[in-house]
Amino acid sequence: MSADIWNWSWWSGGLLPYIAIILFGFLPSEFWRVISIFVASGIDEKSEILEWVRAVSTALLAAVVANIVLAPSGALALAPLWSRIGAMLLGLAVYFALRKSVLAGVFAGVAAIAAAATWFGN
Amino acid sequence: MADGIHALQSENEQETSNWRAPLAAGALTAVRGPMLFLGLTFLGIGGLAQQADIGLGPVLLTTVLIWAGPAQVIFIGSIMNGLSLPAIALSISLSSVRLLPMCVSLLPWLRPKKPSLWKSVFLVHQIAVTAWVESIRRLPDMPAEQRLPWFLGFSQTIFAGAFVATVIGYALAVALPKELAAGLLFVTPVYFTLALVRNARDAIDWSALAFGFALTPLARIFLGPGFDLLFIGLVGGTAAWMFKRAVKARAGTSS
Repeated sequence: MSADIWNWSWWSGGLLPYIAIILFGFLPSEFWRVISIFVASGIDEKSEILEWVRAVSTALLAAVVANIVLAPSGALALAPLWSRIGAMLLGLAVYFALRKSVLAGVFAGVAAIAAAATWFGN
Repeated sequence: MADGIHALQSENEQETSNWRAPLAAGALTAVRGPMLFLGLTFLGIGGLAQQADIGLGPVLLTTVLIWAGPAQVIFIGSIMNGLSLPAIALSISLSSVRLLPMCVSLLPWLRPKKPSLWKSVFLVHQIAVTAWVESIRRLPDMPAEQRLPWFLGFSQTIFAGAFVATVIGYALAVALPKELAAGLLFVTPVYFTLALVRNARDAIDWSALAFGFALTPLARIFLGPGFDLLFIGLVGGTAAWMFKRAVKARAGTSS
């Protein structure tokens, strides 16, 4: 009848939730950051490898964004695909039109999504 | 957190005053946008934790220790769905692989004068997508001695904002109208896209960006939705790097 030790509910009360977060959240995530210290230790600022790693990070981040636009979770799915792509393009247009203002571009994109979700949401 | 700054700062005690200007400049860059964008994400994380019936203390610990929005959303969402803790740990680890290339590409610009493992551990802990996307192009342009304080000023400021936003999100936990919720979920993708476009200077940047965007729908069609984004990063980044080398080699022979 005792709750399963591999389930969050077993860890309720006192310091147990904090310990569960360290073991099952912090350590598996932080592992990659700590490994990077050893991977980066031999790399020079001007090396070619550094440029490659930066390109990999850039492509990865672009993929993260594209994935959110193509297959969003939660309320963002209310706005149809064409409007998510359109809002992204509008954000880019406003960014360039207003002397590369990231703030203005983000605001325009978000407003467009809210409008699209209002009109096409149901 | 503050102890970490002091440990890094005390290594050049006589130059302490030289830390103030870049530290403040980093903080100012954060306040002018990134702190707001990240804060909106963490409002959502606080609200999600409240729905999942996770205490305020534990959710704040996820902000302090995990310090990566997507991993925190996975953690809280999986608890809500009753997933087992080892399964949660695995999906968090898979999500955080993206931190590896980001940390590796940023760390060489953040070398303290007297390096130690603990200073490095403290530094890499600050690195997540927002800090990376704002630092990766700015740090190389700065005088070497300003990079570390600028980065700490920036990262500590967005952290403070995210911490406060987690508390506010938890306390309010109001159900937003879903149109507004849709807009807020769009902050992250549009902000990252604009920051990546702003960062892009050379052929390698633009092509990495283009490959990342273009390969994702192709991978969804041909590999299905379960593919790993790291795979696209590796393929797209390597292709961009080879493209740059080809352009450079051509320029070299023609000139």
